[in-house]
Amino acid sequence: MTLSESELERYSRQLVLPEWSGEAQERLKSATAIVVGAGALGSPAATYLVAAGVGHLGIVDEDVVELSNLHRQPLHFTPDVGRQKAENAALKLGVLNPDVQVDPYPVRLDEQNAPAIVMGADVVVDCSDSFATRYAVNDACCAQRVPLVEAGVLGFDGLVLSIKPGESACYRCAFLTEPPAGSVPSCREAGVLGATAGIVGSIQALEAIKLITGVGEPLVDRILQLDARGMEQTIVSTTRRADCPACGRLTAAPQSA
Amino acid sequence: MQTAIDLTGVACPMNWVKTKLALERLAPGDELAVRLDPGEPIESVPRSAREDGHEVAVEGDVVTIVRR
Repeated sequence: MTLSESELERYSRQLVLPEWSGEAQERLKSATAIVVGAGALGSPAATYLVAAGVGHLGIVDEDVVELSNLHRQPLHFTPDVGRQKAENAALKLGVLNPDVQVDPYPVRLDEQNAPAIVMGADVVVDCSDSFATRYAVNDACCAQRVPLVEAGVLGFDGLVLSIKPGESACYRCAFLTEPPAGSVPSCREAGVLGATAGIVGSIQALEAIKLITGVGEPLVDRILQLDARGMEQTIVSTTRRADCPACGRLTAAPQSA
Repeated sequence: MQTAIDLTGVACPMNWVKTKLALERLAPGDELAVRLDPGEPIESVPRSAREDGHEVAVEGDVVTIVRR
């Protein structure tokens, strides 16, 4: 796979990085990323992945754009209110970088469709807003050994965990069971400042790029906790559970690349 | 083995991008001779190459880089 003249120019400010290379850029170009959610986390995550030159991006969201989304979901603009979110996001991302193939999935990811959606992906970026979706994404990625970037944001707090199924702790290893319904306020009830979600979604994009290219060290077996009130970041170690229902049976044997 | 590329008329940082990608295609120990414009290009491309750990020699408007 070679890079065109316009690609060299578009990506020149990352190609000059000592940690980056033409090879890393080509790996990114040949990769498929699935972003689950085209909202507060998905907007920055998908934007930076497409801008950086991922070859193929699928974006999953069943909702329509609402006025109350716009303060935290910068892929959606005021005239987009009422439009299908995945399709609107794909439209914007296609304008940002026409070299990327962007496919909208205007569906709600659930246990039934998750395996088909993540199949063949090189990385999945979970930008969903519910625990049920998060566990469905995690379980599907574990079953197919698809690397995954999990994250959540609530109020001024965020967390990020990257997962290499079979090699590092999955979301279920770290958080075995879903919190009881009603015990955690949803984003809709609790509120969030868009910029806080922007930080977390940007970290997700960077983690996905690391997982795809092998550049840098992703947050595997390490949970990043962000408290944006004082901008304090804490890394908490986590490890695989031998009895994890999602990944416990996977061996560490690496798959051929 | 020596490969030569002419990057006169190519501004910073594209000249370094092209040099770096050309180096990636070479084997360790191979030489790349790069012709560059005077001024910023001939000053900054050798510096970037040294920072990446390559051996660099400058003679006139040609930079010779030994891939590390």
